[in-house]
Amino acid sequence: MADTLTIRTPGIATVQDLGRVGRSRYGLPANGAVDQHSARVANVLCGNDEHAPLLEITALDFACVPSADILVAVTGAPADVTVAGVPHPQWEPVPVRAGETLRVTGIRHGLRVYLAVLGSFEAARLQGSCAPDTILGFGPPLREGDELALRASCPPVDHPYSRIPLFRLNAPVPPFPTTVPTTWTIDVTDGPDRAEFGDTGRRLFDAPFTVSPQSNHIGLRLHGSTVPRRVTQGELLSRGVPIGAVEVPAGDELLVLHRGRGVTAGYPVLAVVTATGLSALGQVRPGQTVRFRHRTLDQAVTAHRTQRSAVAALRTRVRTAFDSLRIRAPLGG
Amino acid sequence: MTSHGPAHAHADVLIADCGDSALVAKAVGLDTEAAWRLVHALADALDAVRLPGVHDVVPAYDALLVEFDCTATDHATVRRVLAHEAARLGPDPAPTTPPRRFLVPVVYGGEHGPDLPTVAAQLGLAESEVVALHSGADLTVRCLGAPAGAPMTDGPAFPRPVPRLASPRTRVDPGSVAVAGRQAVICPMPSPGGWPLLGRTPVRVLDLHSDPITAYRPGDIFRFRPITPDQWDDYADLPLAHCADSADQAGLAACHG
Repeated sequence: MADTLTIRTPGIATVQDLGRVGRSRYGLPANGAVDQHSARVANVLCGNDEHAPLLEITALDFACVPSADILVAVTGAPADVTVAGVPHPQWEPVPVRAGETLRVTGIRHGLRVYLAVLGSFEAARLQGSCAPDTILGFGPPLREGDELALRASCPPVDHPYSRIPLFRLNAPVPPFPTTVPTTWTIDVTDGPDRAEFGDTGRRLFDAPFTVSPQSNHIGLRLHGSTVPRRVTQGELLSRGVPIGAVEVPAGDELLVLHRGRGVTAGYPVLAVVTATGLSALGQVRPGQTVRFRHRTLDQAVTAHRTQRSAVAALRTRVRTAFDSLRIRAPLGG
Repeated sequence: MTSHGPAHAHADVLIADCGDSALVAKAVGLDTEAAWRLVHALADALDAVRLPGVHDVVPAYDALLVEFDCTATDHATVRRVLAHEAARLGPDPAPTTPPRRFLVPVVYGGEHGPDLPTVAAQLGLAESEVVALHSGADLTVRCLGAPAGAPMTDGPAFPRPVPRLASPRTRVDPGSVAVAGRQAVICPMPSPGGWPLLGRTPVRVLDLHSDPITAYRPGDIFRFRPITPDQWDDYADLPLAHCADSADQAGLAACHG
Protein backbone atom coordinates (compact mmCIF):
# COMPACT_ATOMS: atom_id res chain seq x y z
CA MET A 1 0.00 0.00 0.00
CA ALA A 2 1.23 3.46 -0.87
CA ASP A 3 2.43 5.73 1.90
CA THR A 4 0.14 8.58 2.77
CA LEU A 5 -0.03 11.98 4.34
CA THR A 6 -3.09 12.03 6.58
CA ILE A 7 -4.82 15.33 7.31
CA ARG A 8 -5.54 15.70 11.03
CA THR A 9 -6.57 19.37 11.27
CA PRO A 10 -7.60 20.69 7.86
CA GLY A 11 -8.37 24.31 8.73
CA ILE A 12 -8.86 25.78 5.26
CA ALA A 13 -6.47 23.83 3.05
CA THR A 14 -6.55 22.74 -0.57
CA VAL A 15 -4.35 20.84 -2.97
CA GLN A 16 -2.87 23.43 -5.33
CA ASP A 17 -0.37 23.96 -8.08
CA LEU A 18 0.62 26.96 -10.18
CA GLY A 19 -2.64 26.83 -12.11
CA ARG A 20 -4.32 25.97 -15.35
CA VAL A 21 -2.62 27.60 -18.31
CA GLY A 22 -3.67 27.67 -21.95
CA ARG A 23 -7.42 27.42 -21.25
CA SER A 24 -8.39 31.10 -21.04
CA ARG A 25 -9.60 30.90 -24.60
CA TYR A 26 -12.24 28.44 -23.47
CA GLY A 27 -13.32 30.66 -20.61
CA LEU A 28 -11.41 28.80 -17.91
CA PRO A 29 -9.67 30.98 -15.32
CA ALA A 30 -6.05 30.17 -14.44
CA ASN A 31 -6.55 29.70 -10.70
CA GLY A 32 -3.64 28.06 -8.85
CA ALA A 33 -1.65 29.24 -5.83
CA VAL A 34 -2.64 32.81 -5.01
CA ASP A 35 0.92 33.53 -3.80
CA GLN A 36 2.78 32.01 -6.75
CA HIS A 37 6.22 32.94 -5.42
CA SER A 38 5.81 31.18 -2.07
CA ALA A 39 4.31 28.10 -3.77
CA ARG A 40 7.15 27.96 -6.27
CA VAL A 41 9.81 28.24 -3.54
CA ALA A 42 8.16 25.53 -1.40
CA ASN A 43 8.43 23.03 -4.25
CA VAL A 44 11.96 24.09 -5.17
CA LEU A 45 13.05 23.62 -1.53
CA CYS A 46 11.85 20.01 -1.84
CA GLY A 47 13.68 19.47 -5.13
CA ASN A 48 10.33 19.20 -6.91
CA ASP A 49 9.22 20.51 -10.26
CA GLU A 50 7.75 23.92 -9.48
CA HIS A 51 4.39 22.83 -10.94
CA ALA A 52 4.10 19.84 -8.56
CA PRO A 53 0.99 19.58 -6.36
CA LEU A 54 1.38 21.09 -2.88
CA LEU A 55 -0.91 22.34 -0.12
CA GLU A 56 -2.24 25.88 0.26
CA ILE A 57 -3.20 26.55 3.88
CA THR A 58 -5.29 29.66 4.47
CA ALA A 59 -5.42 31.51 7.81
CA LEU A 60 -6.35 28.61 10.11
CA ASP A 61 -4.26 26.03 12.00
CA PHE A 62 -3.34 22.86 10.16
CA ALA A 63 -1.88 19.46 11.08
CA CYS A 64 -0.97 16.29 9.21
CA VAL A 65 0.88 13.01 9.80
CA PRO A 66 2.91 11.05 7.21
CA SER A 67 3.06 7.25 7.22
CA ALA A 68 6.64 7.36 5.91
CA ASP A 69 9.70 9.51 6.53
CA ILE A 70 9.39 12.64 4.38
CA LEU A 71 11.01 15.99 3.75
CA VAL A 72 8.75 19.04 3.65
CA ALA A 73 9.10 22.79 3.17
CA VAL A 74 6.72 25.42 4.54
CA THR A 75 6.69 28.89 2.96
CA GLY A 76 4.30 31.84 2.74
CA ALA A 77 3.00 33.85 5.67
CA PRO A 78 4.87 33.66 9.00
CA ALA A 79 3.56 30.81 11.18
CA ASP A 80 4.68 28.38 13.87
CA VAL A 81 5.89 25.13 12.30
CA THR A 82 6.45 22.17 14.60
CA VAL A 83 7.30 18.51 14.05
CA ALA A 84 6.44 16.30 17.03
CA GLY A 85 6.24 19.51 19.04
CA VAL A 86 9.71 20.75 18.08
CA PRO A 87 9.83 24.13 16.29
CA HIS A 88 11.31 24.24 12.80
CA PRO A 89 12.04 27.10 10.41
CA GLN A 90 9.96 28.08 7.41
CA TRP A 91 11.64 28.55 4.01
CA GLU A 92 13.97 25.57 4.64
CA PRO A 93 13.54 21.80 4.08
CA VAL A 94 12.37 20.02 7.24
CA PRO A 95 12.51 16.24 7.82
CA VAL A 96 9.40 14.60 9.29
CA ARG A 97 9.59 10.99 10.54
CA ALA A 98 6.78 8.52 9.93
CA GLY A 99 4.05 9.01 12.52
CA GLU A 100 5.21 12.44 13.67
CA THR A 101 2.69 15.28 13.58
CA LEU A 102 3.55 18.30 11.44
CA ARG A 103 1.70 21.38 12.63
CA VAL A 104 1.33 24.81 11.07
CA THR A 105 -0.30 27.18 13.56
CA GLY A 106 -0.58 30.88 14.31
CA ILE A 107 -0.51 32.11 10.70
CA ARG A 108 0.06 35.86 11.02
CA HIS A 109 0.86 39.05 9.11
CA GLY A 110 -0.07 37.28 5.89
CA LEU A 111 -2.87 34.90 4.91
CA ARG A 112 -1.55 31.83 3.09
CA VAL A 113 1.04 29.17 3.84
CA TYR A 114 2.38 26.64 1.33
CA LEU A 115 3.45 23.13 2.27
CA ALA A 116 5.36 21.04 -0.26
CA VAL A 117 6.56 17.45 0.20
CA LEU A 118 9.64 15.98 -1.46
CA GLY A 119 8.32 13.96 -4.41
CA SER A 120 4.85 15.53 -4.00
CA PHE A 121 1.67 13.43 -3.80
CA GLU A 122 -1.02 12.10 -6.11
CA ALA A 123 -3.65 14.66 -7.03
CA ALA A 124 -6.69 14.60 -9.29
CA ARG A 125 -6.26 16.82 -12.32
CA LEU A 126 -8.70 18.72 -14.47
CA GLN A 127 -7.58 20.35 -17.71
CA GLY A 128 -3.93 19.83 -16.86
CA SER A 129 -3.96 21.13 -13.29
CA CYS A 130 -4.98 20.11 -9.78
CA ALA A 131 -5.83 23.73 -8.85
CA PRO A 132 -9.33 24.08 -7.39
CA ASP A 133 -11.90 25.84 -9.55
CA THR A 134 -14.86 26.93 -7.47
CA ILE A 135 -17.04 27.63 -10.52
CA LEU A 136 -16.49 24.13 -11.92
CA GLY A 137 -16.81 22.64 -8.43
CA PHE A 138 -13.39 21.01 -8.74
CA GLY A 139 -10.88 20.54 -5.91
CA PRO A 140 -12.83 20.57 -2.65
CA PRO A 141 -11.16 21.73 0.59
CA LEU A 142 -9.34 19.00 2.52
CA ARG A 143 -11.20 17.34 5.37
CA GLU A 144 -10.04 15.65 8.55
CA GLY A 145 -8.96 12.10 7.74
CA ASP A 146 -8.21 12.74 4.07
CA GLU A 147 -5.20 10.76 2.90
CA LEU A 148 -2.87 12.01 0.17
CA ALA A 149 -0.85 9.27 -1.55
CA LEU A 150 2.83 10.19 -1.29
CA ARG A 151 4.87 9.70 -4.43
CA ALA A 152 8.16 9.28 -2.59
CA SER A 153 9.63 8.94 0.84
CA CYS A 154 12.87 10.42 2.12
CA PRO A 155 15.16 8.42 4.40
CA PRO A 156 15.80 10.20 7.69
CA VAL A 157 18.42 12.87 7.30
CA ASP A 158 20.57 12.79 10.42
CA HIS A 159 22.74 15.74 11.12
CA PRO A 160 25.89 14.91 13.08
CA TYR A 161 25.67 18.12 15.11
CA SER A 162 22.46 18.49 17.00
CA ARG A 163 20.91 21.94 17.58
CA ILE A 164 22.33 23.21 14.31
CA PRO A 165 19.81 23.81 11.55
CA LEU A 166 20.07 21.10 8.94
CA PHE A 167 19.75 23.45 5.99
CA ARG A 168 20.67 27.06 5.40
CA LEU A 169 19.58 27.52 1.83
CA ASN A 170 18.86 31.24 2.01
CA ALA A 171 15.57 31.07 0.10
CA PRO A 172 14.23 34.38 -1.26
CA VAL A 173 11.74 35.36 1.47
CA PRO A 174 9.45 38.25 0.49
CA PRO A 175 8.72 40.96 3.07
CA PHE A 176 5.72 40.52 5.37
CA PRO A 177 4.79 43.84 7.01
CA THR A 178 4.54 43.53 10.79
CA THR A 179 3.43 47.04 11.69
CA VAL A 180 -0.03 47.69 13.11
CA PRO A 181 -2.12 48.66 11.27
CA THR A 182 -0.57 46.54 8.56
CA THR A 183 0.00 48.26 5.25
CA TRP A 184 1.24 46.45 2.15
CA THR A 185 2.95 48.14 -0.75
CA ILE A 186 1.61 46.67 -3.98
CA ASP A 187 3.26 47.52 -7.29
CA VAL A 188 1.14 48.33 -10.35
CA THR A 189 1.77 49.51 -13.89
CA ASP A 190 -0.58 51.67 -15.95
CA GLY A 191 -3.55 49.75 -17.31
CA PRO A 192 -4.68 49.88 -20.95
CA ASP A 193 -7.55 52.22 -20.01
CA ARG A 194 -5.50 54.63 -17.86
CA ALA A 195 -6.52 57.55 -20.10
CA GLU A 196 -10.21 56.95 -19.34
CA PHE A 197 -9.63 58.21 -15.79
CA GLY A 198 -7.93 61.50 -16.57
CA ASP A 199 -6.40 63.20 -13.54
CA THR A 200 -8.43 61.05 -11.13
CA GLY A 201 -6.21 58.07 -11.94
CA ARG A 202 -3.61 59.50 -9.56
CA ARG A 203 -5.99 58.90 -6.64
CA LEU A 204 -4.92 55.27 -6.78
CA PHE A 205 -1.61 56.36 -5.26
CA ASP A 206 -2.80 59.17 -2.99
CA ALA A 207 -4.08 57.16 -0.04
CA PRO A 208 -4.22 53.58 1.21
CA PHE A 209 -7.14 51.26 0.48
CA THR A 210 -8.64 48.75 2.91
CA VAL A 211 -9.23 45.15 1.83
CA SER A 212 -12.84 44.09 2.34
CA PRO A 213 -13.87 40.69 3.77
CA GLN A 214 -15.55 40.01 0.40
CA SER A 215 -12.17 39.16 -1.09
CA ASN A 216 -10.92 35.82 -2.31
CA HIS A 217 -8.87 34.10 -5.00
CA ILE A 218 -11.19 35.50 -7.68
CA GLY A 219 -10.65 39.10 -6.71
CA LEU A 220 -10.11 41.56 -3.89
CA ARG A 221 -12.47 44.40 -3.08
CA LEU A 222 -10.84 47.48 -1.63
CA HIS A 223 -12.42 50.55 -0.07
CA GLY A 224 -10.90 54.00 -0.14
CA SER A 225 -11.83 57.55 0.74
CA THR A 226 -11.23 58.85 -2.76
CA VAL A 227 -11.43 56.42 -5.63
CA PRO A 228 -10.52 57.18 -9.24
CA ARG A 229 -13.42 58.00 -11.55
CA ARG A 230 -13.84 57.28 -15.19
CA VAL A 231 -14.11 60.59 -17.05
CA THR A 232 -15.17 59.17 -20.43
CA GLN A 233 -18.60 57.93 -21.45
CA GLY A 234 -19.91 54.90 -23.29
CA GLU A 235 -20.28 51.19 -22.70
CA LEU A 236 -17.17 49.07 -23.02
CA LEU A 237 -17.50 45.80 -24.88
CA SER A 238 -16.57 42.73 -22.84
CA ARG A 239 -12.96 41.79 -23.43
CA GLY A 240 -10.21 39.65 -21.96
CA VAL A 241 -8.79 41.11 -18.77
CA PRO A 242 -5.47 40.13 -17.21
CA ILE A 243 -4.93 38.73 -13.74
CA GLY A 244 -4.11 41.79 -11.64
CA ALA A 245 -6.49 44.13 -13.45
CA VAL A 246 -7.52 47.04 -11.21
CA GLU A 247 -11.12 47.85 -12.09
CA VAL A 248 -13.30 50.65 -10.80
CA PRO A 249 -16.90 49.42 -10.94
CA ALA A 250 -18.86 52.00 -8.90
CA GLY A 251 -19.15 53.52 -5.49
CA ASP A 252 -16.10 53.72 -3.27
CA GLU A 253 -14.72 50.34 -4.28
CA LEU A 254 -11.85 49.06 -6.34
CA LEU A 255 -11.83 45.53 -7.66
CA VAL A 256 -8.49 43.80 -8.20
CA LEU A 257 -8.81 40.60 -10.20
CA HIS A 258 -6.75 37.64 -9.01
CA ARG A 259 -6.07 34.15 -10.35
CA GLY A 260 -9.65 32.87 -10.24
CA ARG A 261 -10.97 35.79 -12.28
CA GLY A 262 -13.40 35.27 -15.12
CA VAL A 263 -11.40 35.81 -18.30
CA THR A 264 -13.68 38.50 -19.72
CA ALA A 265 -15.08 41.64 -18.11
CA GLY A 266 -16.44 45.01 -19.14
CA TYR A 267 -15.02 47.58 -16.71
CA PRO A 268 -12.15 49.89 -17.69
CA VAL A 269 -8.76 48.70 -16.43
CA LEU A 270 -7.00 51.58 -14.66
CA ALA A 271 -3.88 49.69 -13.61
CA VAL A 272 -2.47 46.17 -13.53
CA VAL A 273 -0.81 44.67 -10.47
CA THR A 274 2.68 43.40 -11.32
CA ALA A 275 3.61 39.72 -11.20
CA THR A 276 5.55 40.18 -7.96
CA GLY A 277 2.77 42.40 -6.61
CA LEU A 278 0.20 39.64 -7.24
CA SER A 279 2.12 37.20 -5.03
CA ALA A 280 2.22 39.83 -2.27
CA LEU A 281 -1.48 40.62 -2.77
CA GLY A 282 -2.20 36.91 -2.28
CA GLN A 283 -1.06 37.40 1.32
CA VAL A 284 -3.12 40.47 2.22
CA ARG A 285 -5.74 39.81 4.89
CA PRO A 286 -9.18 41.41 4.97
CA GLY A 287 -8.95 44.55 7.09
CA GLN A 288 -5.34 45.21 6.18
CA THR A 289 -4.50 48.16 3.97
CA VAL A 290 -2.80 48.39 0.61
CA ARG A 291 -0.83 51.30 -0.74
CA PHE A 292 -0.35 51.09 -4.50
CA ARG A 293 3.03 52.05 -5.94
CA HIS A 294 3.43 53.08 -9.55
CA ARG A 295 6.09 51.20 -11.53
CA THR A 296 7.15 51.42 -15.12
CA LEU A 297 6.81 48.31 -17.23
CA ASP A 298 10.60 47.93 -17.23
CA GLN A 299 10.74 48.12 -13.44
CA ALA A 300 7.96 45.53 -13.13
CA VAL A 301 9.54 43.11 -15.60
CA THR A 302 12.94 43.51 -13.95
CA ALA A 303 11.50 42.83 -10.50
CA HIS A 304 9.80 39.67 -11.73
CA ARG A 305 12.94 38.44 -13.50
CA THR A 306 15.03 39.16 -10.40
CA GLN A 307 12.62 37.17 -8.24
CA ARG A 308 12.58 34.24 -10.66
CA SER A 309 16.38 34.27 -10.95
CA ALA A 310 16.59 34.03 -7.17
CA VAL A 311 14.37 30.95 -7.30
CA ALA A 312 16.55 29.42 -10.04
CA ALA A 313 19.66 30.05 -7.94
CA LEU A 314 17.93 28.46 -4.95
CA ARG A 315 17.22 25.38 -7.06
CA THR A 316 20.96 25.02 -7.68
CA ARG A 317 21.76 25.32 -3.96
CA VAL A 318 19.05 22.76 -3.13
CA ARG A 319 20.52 20.32 -5.62
CA THR A 320 24.00 20.74 -4.15
CA ALA A 321 22.73 20.30 -0.60
CA PHE A 322 20.61 17.27 -1.52
CA ASP A 323 23.53 15.68 -3.39
CA SER A 324 25.82 16.06 -0.38
CA LEU A 325 23.19 14.51 1.90
CA ARG A 326 22.39 11.79 -0.68
CA ILE A 327 18.76 12.93 -0.93
CA ARG A 328 17.27 11.96 -4.23
CA ALA A 329 14.71 14.41 -5.57
CA PRO A 330 12.36 12.19 -7.57
CA LEU A 331 10.99 14.85 -9.89
CA GLY A 332 14.39 16.32 -10.56
CA GLY A 333 14.74 19.90 -11.58
CA MET B 1 12.70 52.94 -25.60
CA THR B 2 11.14 50.94 -28.37
CA SER B 3 10.11 47.85 -26.42
CA HIS B 4 7.55 49.43 -24.10
CA GLY B 5 6.58 52.52 -26.02
CA PRO B 6 3.10 53.95 -26.31
CA ALA B 7 0.38 52.07 -28.11
CA HIS B 8 0.90 52.31 -31.84
CA ALA B 9 -1.28 51.40 -34.75
CA HIS B 10 -0.21 48.71 -37.16
CA ALA B 11 -2.58 48.01 -40.01
CA ASP B 12 -5.97 47.80 -38.26
CA VAL B 13 -4.69 46.79 -34.87
CA LEU B 14 -3.69 48.94 -31.90
CA ILE B 15 -1.42 47.13 -29.44
CA ALA B 16 -1.26 48.31 -25.84
CA ASP B 17 0.60 47.12 -22.75
CA CYS B 18 -1.60 45.36 -20.23
CA GLY B 19 0.69 44.91 -17.26
CA ASP B 20 4.03 43.10 -17.11
CA SER B 21 2.61 39.82 -18.46
CA ALA B 22 0.06 40.75 -21.12
CA LEU B 23 -0.65 42.85 -24.18
CA VAL B 24 -4.00 43.76 -25.66
CA ALA B 25 -4.53 44.08 -29.39
CA LYS B 26 -7.58 46.12 -30.35
CA ALA B 27 -9.11 46.23 -33.81
CA VAL B 28 -9.67 49.84 -34.84
CA GLY B 29 -11.44 51.51 -37.73
CA LEU B 30 -13.43 48.41 -38.61
CA ASP B 31 -17.12 47.64 -38.27
CA THR B 32 -18.25 45.35 -35.46
CA GLU B 33 -18.30 42.22 -37.59
CA ALA B 34 -14.90 42.81 -39.19
CA ALA B 35 -13.29 43.74 -35.87
CA TRP B 36 -14.59 40.53 -34.30
CA ARG B 37 -13.37 38.44 -37.25
CA LEU B 38 -9.95 40.05 -37.10
CA VAL B 39 -9.30 39.48 -33.38
CA HIS B 40 -10.36 35.83 -33.62
CA ALA B 41 -8.22 35.24 -36.70
CA LEU B 42 -5.34 36.93 -34.88
CA ALA B 43 -5.86 34.62 -31.89
CA ASP B 44 -5.77 31.59 -34.20
CA ALA B 45 -2.64 32.91 -35.90
CA LEU B 46 -0.88 33.48 -32.60
CA ASP B 47 -1.84 30.00 -31.38
CA ALA B 48 -0.41 28.56 -34.59
CA VAL B 49 2.89 30.43 -34.17
CA ARG B 50 3.42 28.88 -30.70
CA LEU B 51 5.61 31.74 -29.59
CA PRO B 52 7.68 30.61 -26.57
CA GLY B 53 6.44 32.18 -23.34
CA VAL B 54 2.98 33.02 -24.69
CA HIS B 55 0.50 30.83 -22.82
CA ASP B 56 -2.99 32.25 -23.31
CA VAL B 57 -4.99 34.22 -25.87
CA VAL B 58 -8.46 35.61 -25.13
CA PRO B 59 -10.26 36.99 -28.18
CA ALA B 60 -13.58 38.71 -27.43
CA TYR B 61 -15.42 41.32 -29.57
CA ASP B 62 -12.92 43.91 -30.73
CA ALA B 63 -9.93 43.04 -28.54
CA LEU B 64 -7.49 40.20 -28.05
CA LEU B 65 -5.71 39.69 -24.72
CA VAL B 66 -2.35 37.92 -25.03
CA GLU B 67 -0.87 36.57 -21.79
CA PHE B 68 2.77 35.55 -21.48
CA ASP B 69 5.55 34.82 -19.03
CA CYS B 70 7.77 37.91 -19.16
CA THR B 71 10.72 35.86 -17.86
CA ALA B 72 10.46 33.69 -21.00
CA THR B 73 9.75 36.38 -23.61
CA ASP B 74 9.26 40.16 -23.63
CA HIS B 75 6.70 42.75 -24.69
CA ALA B 76 8.69 43.80 -27.76
CA THR B 77 8.83 40.26 -29.15
CA VAL B 78 5.13 39.60 -28.61
CA ARG B 79 4.25 43.02 -30.06
CA ARG B 80 6.36 42.38 -33.14
CA VAL B 81 4.73 39.00 -33.79
CA LEU B 82 1.23 40.40 -33.20
CA ALA B 83 1.86 43.29 -35.59
CA HIS B 84 3.34 40.94 -38.17
CA GLU B 85 0.40 38.52 -37.99
CA ALA B 86 -2.10 41.40 -38.11
CA ALA B 87 -0.43 42.79 -41.22
CA ARG B 88 -0.38 39.34 -42.81
CA LEU B 89 -4.08 38.77 -42.09
CA GLY B 90 -5.22 42.19 -43.34
CA PRO B 91 -8.45 43.88 -42.32
CA ASP B 92 -10.84 41.18 -43.48
CA PRO B 93 -9.46 37.70 -42.83
CA ALA B 94 -11.45 34.59 -43.78
CA PRO B 95 -12.52 32.31 -40.93
CA THR B 96 -9.92 29.60 -40.28
CA THR B 97 -12.53 26.91 -39.73
CA PRO B 98 -16.03 26.66 -41.18
CA PRO B 99 -18.77 27.32 -38.61
CA ARG B 100 -20.73 24.46 -37.08
CA ARG B 101 -24.40 24.74 -36.19
CA PHE B 102 -25.88 23.46 -32.93
CA LEU B 103 -29.58 22.80 -32.38
CA VAL B 104 -30.14 23.46 -28.70
CA PRO B 105 -33.40 22.27 -27.09
CA VAL B 106 -34.85 24.75 -24.58
CA VAL B 107 -37.79 24.60 -22.18
CA TYR B 108 -39.08 28.18 -22.11
CA GLY B 109 -40.82 29.92 -19.22
CA GLY B 110 -42.14 28.45 -16.00
CA GLU B 111 -39.60 27.37 -13.41
CA HIS B 112 -36.91 27.10 -16.11
CA GLY B 113 -37.39 30.62 -17.46
CA PRO B 114 -38.73 32.70 -14.57
CA ASP B 115 -38.07 36.06 -16.26
CA LEU B 116 -39.92 35.30 -19.51
CA PRO B 117 -43.06 37.21 -18.42
CA THR B 118 -41.04 40.24 -17.28
CA VAL B 119 -38.97 40.34 -20.47
CA ALA B 120 -42.11 40.02 -22.59
CA ALA B 121 -43.71 42.93 -20.71
CA GLN B 122 -40.56 45.06 -21.06
CA LEU B 123 -40.47 44.41 -24.80
CA GLY B 124 -44.24 44.89 -25.23
CA LEU B 125 -44.53 41.39 -26.70
CA ALA B 126 -46.45 38.23 -25.87
CA GLU B 127 -44.35 35.50 -24.22
CA SER B 128 -44.85 33.35 -27.33
CA GLU B 129 -43.43 36.17 -29.47
CA VAL B 130 -40.32 36.39 -27.28
CA VAL B 131 -39.86 32.61 -27.63
CA ALA B 132 -40.41 32.81 -31.40
CA LEU B 133 -37.77 35.53 -31.76
CA HIS B 134 -35.25 33.78 -29.49
CA SER B 135 -35.64 30.43 -31.25
CA GLY B 136 -36.39 31.72 -34.73
CA ALA B 137 -32.96 32.76 -35.95
CA ASP B 138 -29.38 31.49 -36.08
CA LEU B 139 -27.32 33.22 -33.38
CA THR B 140 -23.55 33.46 -33.82
CA VAL B 141 -21.24 32.62 -30.91
CA ARG B 142 -19.02 35.69 -30.46
CA CYS B 143 -16.78 34.59 -27.63
CA LEU B 144 -16.52 32.26 -24.67
CA GLY B 145 -16.92 34.19 -21.50
CA ALA B 146 -17.10 33.92 -17.76
CA PRO B 147 -18.03 31.78 -16.04
CA ALA B 148 -16.26 28.84 -17.62
CA GLY B 149 -16.78 28.65 -21.36
CA ALA B 150 -20.18 30.37 -21.49
CA PRO B 151 -21.16 30.81 -25.17
CA MET B 152 -21.85 34.53 -25.66
CA THR B 153 -24.01 34.88 -28.76
CA ASP B 154 -25.66 37.73 -30.58
CA GLY B 155 -29.04 38.51 -29.11
CA PRO B 156 -32.33 37.72 -30.86
CA ALA B 157 -34.00 40.40 -33.00
CA PHE B 158 -35.88 41.95 -30.08
CA PRO B 159 -37.28 45.45 -30.67
CA ARG B 160 -34.92 46.89 -28.03
CA PRO B 161 -32.20 45.87 -25.58
CA VAL B 162 -33.20 43.81 -22.55
CA PRO B 163 -32.31 45.42 -19.18
CA ARG B 164 -30.31 43.43 -16.64
CA LEU B 165 -31.99 42.37 -13.40
CA ALA B 166 -32.05 45.05 -10.72
CA SER B 167 -30.89 42.44 -8.24
CA PRO B 168 -28.66 39.65 -9.61
CA ARG B 169 -29.45 36.07 -8.60
CA THR B 170 -26.98 34.42 -6.27
CA ARG B 171 -27.40 31.16 -8.16
CA VAL B 172 -28.38 30.44 -11.75
CA ASP B 173 -28.95 26.80 -12.70
CA PRO B 174 -26.64 25.26 -15.30
CA GLY B 175 -28.15 25.30 -18.78
CA SER B 176 -30.09 28.48 -18.12
CA VAL B 177 -30.69 30.48 -21.27
CA ALA B 178 -30.40 34.21 -20.64
CA VAL B 179 -30.48 37.51 -22.52
CA ALA B 180 -29.25 41.02 -21.73
CA GLY B 181 -28.73 44.09 -23.84
CA ARG B 182 -28.38 42.72 -27.35
CA GLN B 183 -26.64 39.56 -26.24
CA ALA B 184 -27.66 36.02 -25.33
CA VAL B 185 -25.88 33.29 -23.41
CA ILE B 186 -26.21 29.81 -21.98
CA CYS B 187 -24.93 29.59 -18.40
CA PRO B 188 -22.87 26.40 -18.36
CA MET B 189 -22.29 26.05 -14.63
CA PRO B 190 -24.18 27.06 -11.50
CA SER B 191 -23.13 30.64 -10.82
CA PRO B 192 -24.43 34.05 -9.77
CA GLY B 193 -25.98 36.03 -12.61
CA GLY B 194 -27.75 39.28 -13.42
CA TRP B 195 -29.16 38.38 -16.82
CA PRO B 196 -32.90 37.67 -17.21
CA LEU B 197 -33.62 33.94 -17.72
CA LEU B 198 -35.91 32.92 -20.59
CA GLY B 199 -35.54 29.15 -20.31
CA ARG B 200 -33.21 26.28 -19.70
CA THR B 201 -31.64 23.57 -21.80
CA PRO B 202 -31.37 20.04 -20.43
CA VAL B 203 -28.22 19.30 -22.45
CA ARG B 204 -24.77 19.34 -20.86
CA VAL B 205 -23.08 22.49 -22.16
CA LEU B 206 -19.50 21.70 -21.11
CA ASP B 207 -17.50 18.49 -21.09
CA LEU B 208 -14.94 19.11 -18.39
CA HIS B 209 -12.99 16.00 -19.31
CA SER B 210 -12.45 16.78 -22.96
CA ASP B 211 -9.91 19.31 -24.19
CA PRO B 212 -11.17 21.86 -25.04
CA ILE B 213 -14.11 21.74 -22.65
CA THR B 214 -16.50 23.23 -25.22
CA ALA B 215 -17.78 21.56 -28.39
CA TYR B 216 -18.42 25.01 -29.86
CA ARG B 217 -16.10 27.87 -30.67
CA PRO B 218 -16.55 31.50 -31.63
CA GLY B 219 -18.08 31.72 -35.09
CA ASP B 220 -20.27 28.67 -34.55
CA ILE B 221 -24.04 29.05 -34.68
CA PHE B 222 -26.68 28.24 -32.08
CA ARG B 223 -30.30 27.69 -33.00
CA PHE B 224 -32.55 27.33 -29.98
CA ARG B 225 -35.46 24.91 -30.35
CA PRO B 226 -38.46 24.99 -28.00
CA ILE B 227 -39.34 21.72 -26.28
CA THR B 228 -42.03 21.01 -23.71
CA PRO B 229 -41.23 20.40 -20.02
CA ASP B 230 -42.13 16.72 -20.36
CA GLN B 231 -39.49 16.33 -23.09
CA TRP B 232 -36.79 17.43 -20.58
CA ASP B 233 -35.78 13.88 -19.66
CA ASP B 234 -35.29 12.94 -23.34
CA TYR B 235 -32.34 15.34 -23.48
CA ALA B 236 -31.18 15.41 -19.88
CA ASP B 237 -27.39 15.39 -19.67
CA LEU B 238 -26.94 14.82 -23.41
CA PRO B 239 -23.59 16.38 -24.36
CA LEU B 240 -24.04 19.54 -26.41
CA ALA B 241 -21.62 18.06 -28.95
CA HIS B 242 -24.41 15.65 -29.91
CA CYS B 243 -26.58 18.60 -30.90
CA ALA B 244 -24.28 19.64 -33.74
CA ASP B 245 -26.13 19.84 -37.03
CA SER B 246 -23.29 17.92 -38.65
CA ALA B 247 -22.99 15.35 -35.87
CA ASP B 248 -23.58 11.64 -36.28
CA GLN B 249 -27.12 10.55 -37.06
CA ALA B 250 -27.78 9.31 -33.52
CA GLY B 251 -26.94 12.72 -32.13
CA LEU B 252 -28.98 14.46 -34.76
CA ALA B 253 -31.93 12.19 -34.13
CA ALA B 254 -31.69 12.86 -30.42
CA CYS B 255 -31.66 16.60 -30.90
CA HIS B 256 -34.37 16.67 -33.52
CA GLY B 257 -36.52 14.71 -31.03
